Amino acid sequence: MRKYICPICGYVYDEAKEGVKFEDLPDDWKCPLCGAPKNLFKAEAVEVIVEEQEEELREMNYGEVSALCSSLASSCEKQYLEEEAQLFKKLADYYNSKAKIEGNFEDLINKINNDLNLNYKKAREISQEKQDRGSLRVITWGEKVTMILKSLLNEGIPTDKKIYVCEVCGFVYIGNAKPEICPVCKVPNFKLVEVVR
Amino acid sequence: MSELRAVRNLRICSKDCLCLFVCPTGATDTETGQIDFEKCIGCGACSKACPSGAISMVPYKYPKQQDKDELVIEKLRKVISSKVEQEQIAHYIFENGSDKEKILAKILMKSNRLITEDLYREAGYMLPQSDNTKKFLEELLEKDNTNKEDIKKLLELLDFN
Repeated sequence: MRKYICPICGYVYDEAKEGVKFEDLPDDWKCPLCGAPKNLFKAEAVEVIVEEQEEELREMNYGEVSALCSSLASSCEKQYLEEEAQLFKKLADYYNSKAKIEGNFEDLINKINNDLNLNYKKAREISQEKQDRGSLRVITWGEKVTMILKSLLNEGIPTDKKIYVCEVCGFVYIGNAKPEICPVCKVPNFKLVEVVR
Repeated sequence: MSELRAVRNLRICSKDCLCLFVCPTGATDTETGQIDFEKCIGCGACSKACPSGAISMVPYKYPKQQDKDELVIEKLRKVISSKVEQEQIAHYIFENGSDKEKILAKILMKSNRLITEDLYREAGYMLPQSDNTKKFLEELLEKDNTNKEDIKKLLELLDFN
């Protein structure tokens, strides 16, 4: 008898209590708390060691400039600096329109696997070493959301369900009734905004 | 000038309007629902009187941003680069894919952008008034020929510390 843990919200499926083996649950079984699919559940952490290629920090590309500008726009909004927020937004839109990379869903899955197995892992190690809890926070949220994105890429989105995105952490919830709080960042659910098809 | 100003969180405001009774300058009574920052003298009376905790006092001058370790920044920037690429690939699929692919691509664009914005906060750009933001804008000003006026305006408006 084992326990299986939801990597998104921490829900524990205890085979001993439930009386049903985890592997015997139907494939479309989902986390009763946050809706994460069955295949994300983990019995135990699996260590994946990948060699890293060292490279220098280079200049920001257009896409990165755009993302930094929209990040700063959001911080200005939080400080009620309207004019500054608008100017940063304008810059973000301009640089976003210049940034283009061709690719397909398979490329996305490969990049996500590389994030989960390498990029986030390395970032977590150094943040732990430096005791940088702010970075550990953003890594924890980001890893969880990345796992959800991976499952969406693998399984697709059911056509009969609504789609919500958490405007704080990027978590995607598929289902008709929103959870009370975002299962990843715990913000109240008014921040889970519906994406209209 | 006062060091603080009152700001109202419109989502929490329960319209009990005690702030209107205690404000010595009328700054809390506006047609937009937000405080009139020109009139606010930063006394904090509204914030203390508000029964729903919707008004907070924020500084004009922000403290210096906390230092970040260079190695942590380097590793976070790797995640950022990857997420930015993913957003752009999703954007490409959104523009060229079928209707079914478009919705998934739209969600991926949005989610990746939110992840990246958050990563930048922890990678040295928490505060718009920081040295890092100033340096970023100054370097951008040198390279950018289209948005010079907007970048200059930002450098002028932000109270760098």
